[in-house]
Amino acid sequence: MRVRKRDNNFIERSIMGALCFLKGSVFSDEYASRPGFLQSLDPRIKFITFIIFILAVLFTKSIAVSFVFYILCLALAYFSKIDLVFFLKRTWIFIPLFSLFIAIPALFSVFSPGEAIFSFRVVNLNFIITRQGLYGASLFVARVIASVSFAVLLSITTKHFELLKVLRVVRVPQVFVMVLGMCYRYIYLFIEVVENTYMAIKSRVGRRIDYKKGQHMVAWSMASLWYRSYQLNEAVYGAMLSRGYRGEPVISHDFKAGPKDWVWLVLVTFISGALLYCGGLWKFNII
Amino acid sequence: MNEKIFELKDVRFAYLGKYPALCGVDISVEKGQRIALVGANGSGKSTLLHLLDGLIFPDSGSVKAFGAELSEGALADAQFNYDFRRRVGLVFQNPDVQLFCPTVKEEVMFGPLNFGSGYEKAAKDFDAIMKVFGIEDLAGRMPHQLSIGEKRKVSMAAVLISNPDVLLLDEPTAGLDPRTSRGLVDLLNKYHREGKTVITATHDMHIIEEIADIVYVFNHDKHIVRAAPPAELLADTGFLQDNNLIHIHSHRHDGKPHVHPHGHPSHDHTH
Repeated sequence: MRVRKRDNNFIERSIMGALCFLKGSVFSDEYASRPGFLQSLDPRIKFITFIIFILAVLFTKSIAVSFVFYILCLALAYFSKIDLVFFLKRTWIFIPLFSLFIAIPALFSVFSPGEAIFSFRVVNLNFIITRQGLYGASLFVARVIASVSFAVLLSITTKHFELLKVLRVVRVPQVFVMVLGMCYRYIYLFIEVVENTYMAIKSRVGRRIDYKKGQHMVAWSMASLWYRSYQLNEAVYGAMLSRGYRGEPVISHDFKAGPKDWVWLVLVTFISGALLYCGGLWKFNII
Repeated sequence: MNEKIFELKDVRFAYLGKYPALCGVDISVEKGQRIALVGANGSGKSTLLHLLDGLIFPDSGSVKAFGAELSEGALADAQFNYDFRRRVGLVFQNPDVQLFCPTVKEEVMFGPLNFGSGYEKAAKDFDAIMKVFGIEDLAGRMPHQLSIGEKRKVSMAAVLISNPDVLLLDEPTAGLDPRTSRGLVDLLNKYHREGKTVITATHDMHIIEEIADIVYVFNHDKHIVRAAPPAELLADTGFLQDNNLIHIHSHRHDGKPHVHPHGHPSHDHTH
């Protein structure tokens, strides 16, 4: 009995946790709404400058330069009134995911032959860590740290619908941008539907649900959600037609770039170029 | 003689071809009229509004709008489509259907931009309509962050910004507090004074005397059983009771239970 009860709690915690995470991460504009340096920039310019930063991080061959970029990113977060503990937590969730699985094998001589600096044996297998492997893996991790941090910083200092509209800058078709915007709008609605459906089931059947019945309910809820989304799809299309939609949507993008934005763009280009240049020197002359 | 806006003759419509929603509806709407559609849930009011907005088409019978046949074929003509959509605006019953853009500003400006107004003109109209509804502070908000009253106001603003000649409203006061509801009635009357035709589907019998010159009553057989001025209709409590538009109301006076039909708008009754 106790096991069954715990199982149900686990399901409840999972559903509510997932919904809460979605609402909190995808739909929260808490930091993007704060007055801060990055928040005050034109989203298009901000997007372009962050792409420049990320490209510079990817092209640098120097670990030191990657860390300079990372420190720059942390400084930008600080000046944009982002809680650094929150920011570090948010970025370091992704960093091991994106880096460790690739970086660890690269340490060893099998993938990175070269000068051995450390070796150990596991079940008659000799593992050798090479200087080149260590450097390659460190560079890779440093790049991931900096680029993931820039990507996260961009996403938390920009309202999500603005990010979608910025896609127009990179010539993503208008209709695609609009569909993404609508997805963003209606995912929230369906999160609420899922939440309310679960609460309705819970209020009527209590916590303990027979396994078979539970399966049946989940299947029924999925079917019901699909049907609701289908109905909504038709109704929304009707609402669009009613207000002049004729297959080619026209959506507003009232971004305005001011002198501050252009100065920022020039500055970022200059800083990135200079760091890349220095990285080249450090790579070949110092490290 | 006033210009005919809509003329429906023996209109029948069934969802999926098997669930009847309108069974032989005849209705004629002239320019500048205020019309209320009343009836119990599922009696066909919303279906009629969607039909008048050219979103669905009858299985049989004819629908004319501005003197021309309103059909799928007619709306395939770009010019007719543009003229018709420009002149007729529908406020949906469910604001979540209508608010499909990520922000209120984009939502309200969607109509003018898609009707070909330039951005400058659309932005100017946007500022004006937001002021009319007193919702200037909602411009940057996302629709899911709004209350039901705010959603309704934004839905109305999104339609009225295009200044349509004919306004179709589906349960506009549902879920609104009395003050917001009052403001809405005043606004509808203001639009009527400007010469607009206003057709409102509602359950709210409180407001029909104020928003309609003529009331069409739908019954459960999904056709119009009566068309009458609001005062005449409201006086006929037996008819209203038969059509689920008023209910028997029980309360106490001096400790004694008392039962009577609960009608509107005045709610006065003698003892």
